[in-house]
Amino acid sequence: MDWRRLSSLTLLLAVVRLGPGTVRMIPALAAIGIAASWVYVVPALLAFMALSLGFAWLAWARFRWRIGGDAIIIESGILDRQHRTIPFDRIQDVSIEQGLVARALDLAKVGFETGASAEGGMGDGGLDSISLVDAEALRTTIRAWRSGIAPTLAASDAATGVPDDDDAELFTLSPQRLILAGLFNFSLAALAVTFAVSQYVDDFLPFDLFDPRAWMDMVRQSGVDGWIEAHRWVAGLGAAGVLLFVGFATGVVRTVLTNWNFRLTLGPRAFRRVRGLTTRTDVAIPIARVQAAIVATGLIRRFWGWHELRLQSLASDGKEEKDHQLVPFGQLTDIDAVMQPAGITRPGADVQWQYPPLIVQALPGFIAAGLAVAGAVGGYVFGQPFWPIPLLVAGWLIGISIMTARRHRWAETADTLFVWRGWWNPRLTILPFANVQSADLADGPILRRYGVVRLVLGVPGESAMASHEIDAVPAGAAAGLRARILMARTRRS
Amino acid sequence: MTDLQQSDETGPVIAPVQPVDESGLCPVDPSYTNVLRISIALGWLPVAVGATIADILVMPRIDGPYGLLTTAAWLFATLAIVVFPARRYAHIGYAMGRDDLRVARGFLFRTDTIVPFVRVQHIDVGQGPVERRYGLSHLVVHTSGTHNSMVILPGLPSDMVAAMRETIRHHIQSDFA
Repeated sequence: MDWRRLSSLTLLLAVVRLGPGTVRMIPALAAIGIAASWVYVVPALLAFMALSLGFAWLAWARFRWRIGGDAIIIESGILDRQHRTIPFDRIQDVSIEQGLVARALDLAKVGFETGASAEGGMGDGGLDSISLVDAEALRTTIRAWRSGIAPTLAASDAATGVPDDDDAELFTLSPQRLILAGLFNFSLAALAVTFAVSQYVDDFLPFDLFDPRAWMDMVRQSGVDGWIEAHRWVAGLGAAGVLLFVGFATGVVRTVLTNWNFRLTLGPRAFRRVRGLTTRTDVAIPIARVQAAIVATGLIRRFWGWHELRLQSLASDGKEEKDHQLVPFGQLTDIDAVMQPAGITRPGADVQWQYPPLIVQALPGFIAAGLAVAGAVGGYVFGQPFWPIPLLVAGWLIGISIMTARRHRWAETADTLFVWRGWWNPRLTILPFANVQSADLADGPILRRYGVVRLVLGVPGESAMASHEIDAVPAGAAAGLRARILMARTRRS
Repeated sequence: MTDLQQSDETGPVIAPVQPVDESGLCPVDPSYTNVLRISIALGWLPVAVGATIADILVMPRIDGPYGLLTTAAWLFATLAIVVFPARRYAHIGYAMGRDDLRVARGFLFRTDTIVPFVRVQHIDVGQGPVERRYGLSHLVVHTSGTHNSMVILPGLPSDMVAAMRETIRHHIQSDFA
């Protein structure tokens, strides 16, 4: 097969990306304006844009790829040439991602999931961007090669694209449920972003944004202080209301953006998930690569039975999320239906839950609380007016430690380990014994005193939410548990 | 290269160099203490010398406590070289089972790892310059788990490590995932 280039429309994408790039230039431009003269600002901006576009063009011109007999070959680099070979054998899946502009141009960014965590799926191993038709054809080629059906499929054969419309539908999200999910994703992250942005603006304002005294001065000068003084409660309620609104709105917007038109289907060998409003992603999760399942919920949403399902897999889901979210917001029946093809089931009512000793788990929190109390005493002795604050912190630490410790429990069946963890975000890790690669029994001075050890299991893939460890297993029982876990043979062999 | 090609059912048995202790673990080679000692010395001596030079050059100018830095650095270095290696040696143990490798290490915080041979992705045998002097090597076993992706067993005679590698190699299955 001949060498191919990225789509020439990619250059248009580069023009679009100039926008965010220019924002980063603002401080530099301002510096030029202040230090030299404002006359130079526009030429400097133009020069920056020309340079960026020039580099984008060079990168495009020096990038080529081709499909070899059993591998994809990518050559890139303007001066420093890189030649990369990705064997089809090592590609676990091809992910397709489309941003807003890319969708208008019918372009797609293709990522090769090789399972090597170091190289990362959407890292430099990807094609950014080629036409959507090519992307889908490429994916079909690689999937076909992997399943051994047709090793030589034309890469630009558009007729083979989107082969699996007849796949069984497992889970979808209706707009109503999506918005409900958003309400539960209350988040004040937007405020953090506002603060971060204002740091940029900071230097250009005549006062310090984060200095309360500056604000008080302003208020005093404007005469608003008299009104606030008189209507203190109204002002407080108003502020709280604004915070609540921002929090809920952020949650809804973020959830809708990522999970719009969420569709999970089941192909012959893999789950396939399509979702997103502005950036639409299409990811496949091969069933054979699934290592563990995580069923997560929240303290409040639990009352209505809302849960989330993630699967830890050998392939990772992009840069931020290492595990794959298969059900963002659903009832347990939805989750059972999705887990069933992967051969994973939730614990039945008959499993025997084991509770690690409460005191061992809560001890670190208690020690921290003790330090806080000491701080409060010190503050009181030295006449600090803020001395009750550490006491509140201590109470909060003790409460959280006990609640969290009470939630941690585990159970085993003949072939699966279940671990519950978390109070604010309770989550259940379902780990088939057969996927455990190694097992540690670890202890330290505190654990030894209470005659318990920590069991830590090595499992392929990554997940921020999964918990492949039990904090405190009675030392006598631990060796037996470990032996039973390690004895299990691989599921598929 | 190795004469330990026995049948797969029983698996070649590696004779422990020394009697097995009560927890079923074999100690590593005693000369590992010396390897540790020399490695630690090579790491600490430059620090101690540097501290001394800094002491001589800087302290008189800033009216600091002259000699404190030197004493502390050499004291720590001596402690680290004399006390620490023997203790670390005493708490490393391993056991080659029929189908798994067990490695235990640490005293205050002790970790006891088991890796089934079938889970091993690949094996490294490494030897540093200090280890070479004592005829020792270290065995590194890689698994596909994110935790424990590398399990290291140091301080064993090179020929024994080679034999262990062959044993484990026979169990590695080509399929992964």
